[in-house]
This record gives sequence, structure tokens and C-alpha cells, in this order.
Amino acid sequence: MELWPLILLTLAAAVRAGTPILFAALGELMAERSGVLNLGVEGMMLVGALVGFMTTQKTGEPWLGLLAAGLAGTMVSLIHAFLTITLRANQVVSGLALTIFGTGVSGFLGKPYIGVPAEGFPPTRVSVFGDLPLVGTIFFQHDPMVYLTYPLIPLFWFLLYRTRPGLNVRAVGESPESADAMGVGVALTRYLCVLAGGLLAGLGGAYLSLAYTHMWIENMTAGRGWIALAIVIFGTWDPVRVALGAYLFGGVQALQLRLQALGVGLPTYLLMMTPYVFTVLVLVVATRETVRRRIGAPAALGIPYARGE
Amino acid sequence: MTLSLSLEKRLEPTPWVPLLPALSVALALPAGGVVLAIAGTNPWEAYKEMALGAFGSLYGLSETVVKAIPLLLAGLGVALAFRMLFWNIGAEGQLHLGALGATWVALNAPDLPAPLLQPLMILAAFFAGAAWGLIPATLKVYAGLNEIITTLMMNYIAILWMDFLVYGPWKDPHGFGFPFTAPFPPAARLLKLPGSRIHLGLALGLAAAGLLAVLLWRTRVGYEIRIIGLNPRAARYAGMNIPKVTLLVLALSGGLAGLAGLSEVAGIQGRLKHGLSPGYGYTAIIVAWLARLNPWAVVGVSVLLGGLLVGGDMLQIAMGLPVTMTYILQGLILFFVLGMEVLSGYRLILRRRGSSRAKT
Amino acid sequence: MKGKWLATVIAGLLALGLGVTARSQEPMKVGFVYVGPVGDYGWTYAHDQGRKSLEKALPGVKTTYVESVAEGADAERVITELARTGHKVIFTTSYGYMDTTIKVAEQFSNVVFLHCSGYKRRENVGTYFGRMYQASYLSGLVAGKMTRKNLIGYVAPIPIPEVIRITNAFALGARETNPQVKVHVVWTNAWYDPATETEAANGLLDIGADVIATQSDSPAPVQAAEKRGAYGVGYNSDASKFAPKGHLVSAVWDWGPYYVETIKAVKAGTWKSEDVWWPIGTGIVGLAPYGPAVPSSVKTLVEKRKEDLIQGRFDVFWGPIKDQSGKIRIARGQKATDEELLQMNWFVEGIVGTIPK
Repeated sequence: MELWPLILLTLAAAVRAGTPILFAALGELMAERSGVLNLGVEGMMLVGALVGFMTTQKTGEPWLGLLAAGLAGTMVSLIHAFLTITLRANQVVSGLALTIFGTGVSGFLGKPYIGVPAEGFPPTRVSVFGDLPLVGTIFFQHDPMVYLTYPLIPLFWFLLYRTRPGLNVRAVGESPESADAMGVGVALTRYLCVLAGGLLAGLGGAYLSLAYTHMWIENMTAGRGWIALAIVIFGTWDPVRVALGAYLFGGVQALQLRLQALGVGLPTYLLMMTPYVFTVLVLVVATRETVRRRIGAPAALGIPYARGE
Repeated sequence: MTLSLSLEKRLEPTPWVPLLPALSVALALPAGGVVLAIAGTNPWEAYKEMALGAFGSLYGLSETVVKAIPLLLAGLGVALAFRMLFWNIGAEGQLHLGALGATWVALNAPDLPAPLLQPLMILAAFFAGAAWGLIPATLKVYAGLNEIITTLMMNYIAILWMDFLVYGPWKDPHGFGFPFTAPFPPAARLLKLPGSRIHLGLALGLAAAGLLAVLLWRTRVGYEIRIIGLNPRAARYAGMNIPKVTLLVLALSGGLAGLAGLSEVAGIQGRLKHGLSPGYGYTAIIVAWLARLNPWAVVGVSVLLGGLLVGGDMLQIAMGLPVTMTYILQGLILFFVLGMEVLSGYRLILRRRGSSRAKT
Repeated sequence: MKGKWLATVIAGLLALGLGVTARSQEPMKVGFVYVGPVGDYGWTYAHDQGRKSLEKALPGVKTTYVESVAEGADAERVITELARTGHKVIFTTSYGYMDTTIKVAEQFSNVVFLHCSGYKRRENVGTYFGRMYQASYLSGLVAGKMTRKNLIGYVAPIPIPEVIRITNAFALGARETNPQVKVHVVWTNAWYDPATETEAANGLLDIGADVIATQSDSPAPVQAAEKRGAYGVGYNSDASKFAPKGHLVSAVWDWGPYYVETIKAVKAGTWKSEDVWWPIGTGIVGLAPYGPAVPSSVKTLVEKRKEDLIQGRFDVFWGPIKDQSGKIRIARGQKATDEELLQMNWFVEGIVGTIPK
């Protein structure tokens, strides 16, 4: 067995393992950029995973399942949006409640789908790109859902930094008072961002039940929603860095599994700890106010907005 | 005709604010009842079984209290930090550190007599939790880091560190390879109320509630904490040393969560195990917040929430529902409580769009 | 309403007239405590299938289950609650419930407790388990025959002796039919996490494995193998639905027969506390039907070995057995004792991988 192909395959695996986290993290990034923290990612992902699977199983059409998963994630996030934006409820508590609720709903409704196979997304090699050396193996020999994320990353970057709505989102997350004074609809912007977060979390969940595996199992996210939350911070609220963070996280997992497969013993728990330690360190290094502004930590994160208070 | 919903800040609190939680539960129960009915269960029977399971017998009541102890201790810690607008969602990690501290003492000084060993374990748990709380506090004070983020990260690190220890260096050599430490010596097991599992942790929790109440309303520091929480800008103008207060509060907050870890490991489980806490640190946030950050209310709310968790067993045992139904009900109740909470500070105004806009 | 009233009266009269019969007609309540959710499609799912077949086989039995019960924090309360609510037999289905089961049993001497996979007993506590390593060994025989690259990938959950024992048995089987085989083991460090299990399988396929076996809860590794045209060996439940082409065989739990027999014994008053560790051929453990790729010569060979195991002509851990370093761990002619099996913390020769210390 040669080393070089294995390295390429490991990098390809990093992309695959990072994809469900990437979906959810991009969504959470939007919500947080607008100033709303949503700790319910895990719950939204689970509902997305189940609804995507249910729909695909019933219709035999994974794209329909994907659509349903996105819608389901959006619906669940609507609860959070209504509570925290309209009713100005505590975002931390509401997010935690959302995770409990999503775990419950998906587990309860998912009972009849345990141990039932369904067709999901098949691996689909992209024609021209897939044959490219290096890049082809790493990026273009996956399933369609992976390809869906590639345009999302620059799209989110462009949206956030180069368009009016993006500016509004950042303004609302940074200083809702000033945004409001400029005539930006704070509530509407936040609603849209939280719902986008739900949509993408739903897709991230569906990646697990439609692409990575083709099955539904209770709690099958196994903590990926919480990892997505960490990745948003690790990527300092920037779509490109968040994507890198998700791939890095996927890469650590892909690499450690392959090193094990080659017979190398690893201190797994210490290894799993490193991304979190690293995230805190990144933040410490990037603390100066100027740096903070540049990396774009939303100053109003977690704070409900009420006009004139 | 379009209606629009808007909120208007109350100028003075309504007299019926204390009734809000009861009102929200009164709304949540029928909503949960609909879900139960859809699932083919008689909601009335289900609620009755839950209530009886949690509060209907001396045994149920004692188990509810047992479940409430870690929620009480960690909830007090969270409430204190939230009081000064420090969003410490790291109680879970601080709880794990507390358990690690207590376990370290119990495993390394197994021959000490209980009157010496247990205070040492309590101190170790408190200081370990406090140290874990001080890290995000320091980062906030000296580097301006958002504490929601750092405390969340610190949770993952703490849990993985514990897993590393129980799967590795601390694994019981006679434990058939299972991920737990050797059992604690009897001297390290907290005193129990005879005939129940209620342990010394309850006394610690009640004492802590009392001390916090004194701290908040009878001391200079407590005054400062409350002012910082109400209006940080005013506190700064008044010359209060916010960094110092932050560090002190987080040491206490983390320490209390650390005691929750001690109470689980030395009061209930008797050894440190993988899967130490089923999210007590997160539930504690819910407790603190439902209690409106009032230490005495934390006592009551933790018992109620403990009852909800214990009563949830009966949904499975008596009604044959899966555990996920308990999660759904918990989520629903929280949603309603959250939704109603807003009425304590605001008036809900429903009006025709476009009219009487001038009022706001 | 009227009908209900009438039914009550009739039931009352019947009870008066046929007091003794009515009493024995009262359903016997049996409780199950699960460590995971029933929907894990693995360990807990298999126990729940057993519970369902118990209810089906014995109409006079009413079962209750409590799922996702944390071993440390909640187990004692849940087991006690089951005992208090009139459950006459309680199955606690995780190793971590061992001490708790004993403790609760001390307070309820008229309730029978059965703890799965542990070793502590008392008058009213029995232990039960299946010799899964035998089924796993048989599935290893198939895998050894089917690999062409002599490289088998094995996805393992958590490094405890039970898992190590079953992994070793698989490797012994594979190397019996193919001494050239290497079994590469990857730990996922979780009982169930389908995505990580999938990636573990992918990693093993990347390094050249052409058969993937698993001991994790979900059939995800078998499905991953199918996607890439490799063979898969399942565990816990029959994985054939998830790999119609490449599924070779699955080593499966079937708790139903044991649960039925135990409850019958308790009802008849013949039950006594003992350590039940059923071998293959008696229930609890077995093999799912072979996949289409398995030739009949291999089936014959496996069935013959199975018969040897059942008849006691052979056992999996019969010496000489070497560990990874080539040191003899079980001497020629010796058979590993149950004690040794329960504490196994070393890999046999032919396994590539390490046990985290």
C-alpha cells in the first residue's frame, strides 16, 4: 500500500466527515452573526436527519428528503426565533430546550424507521473535476450533498461581506441600536438568520441519514451539533474559516481512524480535546479590540434587542 | 384587518409576576396533553402518574430530592454568575472538575478517617470547580473574551479530560477494564439520611443557598454584584472594581458547581464513572433562570425540576411511553415558561396594524 | 359506560367464584432496564426484540421497559421503582448496573433480578449472558475464506474485555480458515455513532481491506462496505437489509428464548440463582442467514465447526494461542477459563491494532 494515495483518501475523508458539521456551522454562523445564539443545533439536526430519512423512505427520492429535512429544521428553529426575538426570551435556555425537544420529537416519531433501509444519495463522481489529479480525489468523488456545500461557502462569504443584506446582518449582530436607527429591521433580519440556521442544521442532519449512512438511528448525530457550535467560534464567525475548521475537525477524525487502521495507538481522548483547547487559544491570541473587530465576533451575541431601552 | 403583536416595557412590575411560572405551566400542561393524546395516552392519567411518581410517596419524594441536589448546587452557582450578567454556561465542566478533585483526594488518601477525608474532598471539589470557573473569568476580564463561548469550550475539555482519566490512568485495575475508578473507601461516602439516598449534599446546597442570600443582600460585594447586573455602566461610574468582583463570583460559581460534582460522585455513585452527569450543568442553567436567579427560589425550582425528571420514569413504567416522550414534555414546558416569562417585564399588546403607533 | 360496568360485575363474580384461578390469571409484570434507547438498532434494540417475543410467547406476562437509564445517576431509582410497582422479575441489561442491581435486590427479596453480563449474584439475583465469542468466531471463519487481500477491517466500539474477547474470537476464526489474514482493528470509542463507524470502515477500506466486520451497535460499517463493493460481517442484528450484495453473515443476539425460559421457570417456582452463559446452539447467540456471496463449501465448513462447538468437541479459546507479540497466552491443550475470558485485555496474534491503556 502506497502512502500518497492514502494521504489523498484521508483528505477526502476529512471533507466527508467535516460536511455535516459544515452545514450546521454555516447556519449557526448566520444566526450568531445576527446576534442570536442557538444552542439547539443538535436538536434541529436530529429532526432534519429523521424527516429527511422518513421522506426518502416513503418517496424513494433523496432530493425530496433533503428538501423536507431543510423545512423541518426551519420549522424547529422558528420556535427559537419566536421565543428569543419576538418574546425576548433567554437565548441560552431556549436553545437548550430546543435540543431536548428535538431529541424527543425525532426519537418518538422515528420509532417505526429503526432498522429500515432506504436509498440515500449514492456516491457520484463529478465528471471532469473528478478526474483531476489531487483535487479530484479530495473534493470531487463524493456524494451530491458534499458538492452542495462548495458553492455555499463563497456564497455566504459574499453575502456577508459584499452585499447590503449581509451588512445589515453584521450591523444587527454588532449594534442593533445603530442598525435600527439606520432603518434596518432588527427583528426581521434576526428571524431570517435564525431560520437559515435551522434550514442548514436540518440539511446537516440529513447528511448523516441520507449520505453518510442510509439509515435512521436515535441520536445519530452523536454530538455533532455541539461540535458545530464550537467550529463557529473556532472559525471566528467567518464562512471560509468555519469551513476550514469543519474540514480540520473532520481531518483529525479521518486521520486518527486511519492511523489506528495502520496499527498506530493513539491517546484518543487527549486528541479529541485539542480542537477545543486550540479554539480557546485562538480566541486568546485574537483578543485585542482591533483584532476582535476584524474577526467579527458579534458584540450583541446573546442579547435580546428591544427598541429604546 | 391585520393584527400585530408588540411588547411594551412595564414601568412597574405587576403584582402577579410571582404567579407567572404557575400560569405558564398551566398552559404547558394542556399543550403536552395534546401530544400525549395524539400518542394514544390518556393525558390525565399520564400527568397523575408523573405527579404521584415524583411527589406521591415518601420514596418518590426522597428520590426527587436526590435528583434535585446537583441541580441545586450547580443552579446556585449559575444563578450567582448570571446575577452579574456573566453568562456562565460552563457549570457542566465545573461539575466535572469538582468530581475529579473529590475523586483525586478519595483515591489518594483512602486511609484518612471520614471527618478528615470528607472536608478535604469538599475543599478539593470546590477549588477544582472554582479554578475551572476562573479560567473563563480571567479571559473575560483581561482579554475581553465572550464567556458564553469559553465556558462552552471548557465543558468539552473537562468531559474529555475525565474520559481520558477513567479510560486510562485512573481506571480501576480490578474493574474488568470498564471505564471507572476503583470504588471509594466507605469513609469517602457522604453521610446519608437513613432509609433514603438523600445525602450530605442537600445540607451543602441549603447552606449555600443561605450564604448566597446573605452575600447578595447583606454585604457590600453582594450589593456590587447586583448593581453590576442591573447596570454595568453605572457600576463602573460608581468606581466598582468589576474585574475583582467577576473573579470572585466565578470562583464561587465554579466552586458550587464543583460541589455538585462531589455530591454525585461521593453521595450517589461511589466512584468516578464515564458518563458522570446526564447534563446536570445544563439543566442547572434552566433551574437558575426559572428561579429568576434568586437563591431560595433555586431550592424550590430544583426540587420541581427533579420531580419532573423522576416523574418522567412513570411515563415509561406506568404508561408504557418511550423516554423520548419525557423529553418532548420537558421541551414544551420550557417553551411555555420561556414564552410567558416575557410578561414579567413587558406588556403584550395586540393591536390593529398602523393604529396607535405613537404610543411606543 | 354501561358495558364497562357490566364487565366489572362479571369480573367480580368470576373472581369470587373462581378465586384461585382468577389469581393466577393476573398478568405477571416483568421489567426491563435498558442503558441505551430502543432505537439504537444494536444492543438495546436486541434486548427489546427479546422482550417483545417474551410478551408474544407468554400471554400471561405484561412487560415494561425503561430506556436510556444512566448507569450511575438513575439506575438505582429506576430499578427500585420497577420493584415497587409490582414487577416480579426485573432484567437489568448493562454491565454498569451490577452493583446497583445487587443493592436493590437486598431490599426486595420476593423479586427476581437478572443482571446481564456481570458476575455478582445472590439468592434473588442471577446473571446471564451469551457466548457471543463463539458466534463471532464462526463469522470470522467466513470472513477468512472470503477475503482475497488477506486484510480484514474490524470496527470496534469501546475497549473493554467483552469487546476484546469477541474481537479475538473473530480473528481466531479468520486465521483458522486463512492463516495469512491480518485483522486491523479501529476503535470508535462510542457504543453508537453511525457516522464515525462509517468513517472507520472507510478508513479500513482505504488501507486495502476487502472485508469489514463490526462490533458496534449500528450496521453502518456493513453498509459502508457495500457501497464500495466490499464484503461486510454484521453484529447485533442481521445486517443483510443494509447490504443485500456484500453481506456475508452476522453474529446476532436473540434474547427471546432465554427470556421465555426464565419467566417460565420463575412462574413454575423452579428458578434459582445461577450464572447463565449460554453457548451457541441454545439461543441468545447465533448466526443470521448467510448472504448470497457465501459459497456452500464455506457454509458447510462453518456449520461443521458450529456443531463441534455445540457438542463440546472444540472451543474457541483452546491453546496454543499467542498474543500480538508472539508470546503464548493459552498453552497447548489448555482452555481459557471463564475468569480469564472475563478479564481478557490482550489481542491475539494476527490482529493489527492496540488496546488503549
